[in-house]
Amino acid sequence: MAEAMADSYNGDSEPTTRTLLRRVLDTADTRTPRRRRSARVGAQKALLETPSSRRLSSPTKMNVRRHSHRVRSIGRLAHVHTSGNVEEQTPRTLLKNILLTAPESSIMRPESVVKPVPTPQVVQSSRRDSSRGSLELQLPELEPPTTLALGLLAPGRRKQRLRLSVFQQGMDQGLPLSQEPRGNASASSLTSSLNLTFATPLQPQSVQRPGLARRPPTRRAVDVGAFLQDLRDTSLALASPDPGKPAELLAGKAKKVDAHAVSFPNNSSAISGEDGVEPLQDGVDEEAEERMEESLSVSEVMDTTGTQGSVRTEKSKRHREMSEAVEAKEPEGSSGDEDISGRRASPELASSTTEFLQARQPQFLEPALPPSTAVLSSEPLEPLPTRLPPRARTPGPRPRQDPHKTGLSHYVKLFSFYAKMPMEKKALEMVEKCLDKYFQHLCDDLEVFAAHAGRKTVKPEDLELLMRRQGLVNDQVSLHVLVERYLPLEYRQLLIPCAFSGNSVFPAQ
Amino acid sequence: MAFSTTVSQRKHIKRKAPRGFLKRVFKRQKPHLRLETSGDLLVHLNCLLFVHRLAEETRMNAFENKCGVIKKEHVQAAAKKLKEYGKI
Repeated sequence: MAEAMADSYNGDSEPTTRTLLRRVLDTADTRTPRRRRSARVGAQKALLETPSSRRLSSPTKMNVRRHSHRVRSIGRLAHVHTSGNVEEQTPRTLLKNILLTAPESSIMRPESVVKPVPTPQVVQSSRRDSSRGSLELQLPELEPPTTLALGLLAPGRRKQRLRLSVFQQGMDQGLPLSQEPRGNASASSLTSSLNLTFATPLQPQSVQRPGLARRPPTRRAVDVGAFLQDLRDTSLALASPDPGKPAELLAGKAKKVDAHAVSFPNNSSAISGEDGVEPLQDGVDEEAEERMEESLSVSEVMDTTGTQGSVRTEKSKRHREMSEAVEAKEPEGSSGDEDISGRRASPELASSTTEFLQARQPQFLEPALPPSTAVLSSEPLEPLPTRLPPRARTPGPRPRQDPHKTGLSHYVKLFSFYAKMPMEKKALEMVEKCLDKYFQHLCDDLEVFAAHAGRKTVKPEDLELLMRRQGLVNDQVSLHVLVERYLPLEYRQLLIPCAFSGNSVFPAQ
Repeated sequence: MAFSTTVSQRKHIKRKAPRGFLKRVFKRQKPHLRLETSGDLLVHLNCLLFVHRLAEETRMNAFENKCGVIKKEHVQAAAKKLKEYGKI
């Protein structure tokens, strides 16, 4: 015994936890702990002294910490021993199991998982890290029980996880609960450099508790086909602005369309051209192919820069979803556009299309037509000279109305909320009409007020005057009161100037 | 608890102002004019008050007709009344 001890002492320059454990096991008597208490304590004290002497020789912070750690763990071991255990399975046996089952790991190098005898190549500073690293590295190799061990050994959460895992082990192995936490604590602290499994050599935890096993992340296979398709489309879109000529663009599209080889009669070149090229941009929707063919014929026939310009901007708007680079097209298209009407129309068209896109994405056919009709209908600014009547009346005002309607629906919902009564659909439509008229009147009034003040910008003063005229604001009720009553906090802060510290007012006057 | 202690609205009314929508409407109507930043919030406030008044008037009309449902006629009558009072 003594020789073994001496050997172990002499042989190791820096004893590992494993060797320490061995020493403990060797020195500790198999007899009941209480009797040998003094002897054991004395032995352990000797143990403590020797490591301490060795430790002191190479002073590093890690070392000291480890040493104190070891001391504590040894102390705990002693405590365990002294506390007394009547049953067959003692900490000794536990530790023996550990020594048997745990794969030996060199302290220094995390890769070397299995080594026959502890050959402590000690790099003290990295010992802790490497030990933990070894733990982590061994995770995938070992069975799920190691996860349990890792959970046990995670330093921060040691106690909590110990309890749970220990409990589970107890359940499995029928070990007494009280012993295990302490035993685990000591063992884990001591054997942090080892891979500990308290499991008896052959019991994989996952088999019994499948839920505890770490599941590999399920990854969906990437749909390569769709991805390539999208790539092609975006590259097409990206490539198109480079030549910068609509003819080439359309020619490129034409080539694409040629595969389908259908020609449609072309009634209204401009509009159908716009319609056609728009869905072209999507490239994903098969339905749009019809339009594409129309656009093909249109492009060959039509030459108005206006249409092309608007087409360009429409294209750019369309593709906003697909790629950001498309946005570069917008200024390109708008700047390159010679036709004023086209330019004028395009922002509105674009806005309407984006609104529409935001509102309803799946409907590709209709948006094709609506922008054209939108151009037709919303032409208060400058009537386009060469506008042919829209092909289809039915989906006509939709794209213009839809974003408009979605905005109005907000107020319609408010109306139904204020009314607190069920409403007929016709009544709701009536409310929409009223709102439309209301907005028109509102804008006219604001224009008049701003012009009266000699301005071209409508300011909040104009709004206040409007509300005064309506009778909402009077000497008793001021605008600020109304703001506070009806608007949420964020808007209130923006509208009502408030003094802050440092002699500052927000919003600035 | 058998039921919740709070009274919840069936429809959650958004309190946000559709600022983009308002700006767009103004631009469409009066492209030569500009609207200030805080202006559209006040426009929203105005809309709220208008809708509030309209709804109140509509409800009164519906009560007077002893209908449990709001009908188109109630709304129309309310709108006419507001017009002559100068809702504008």
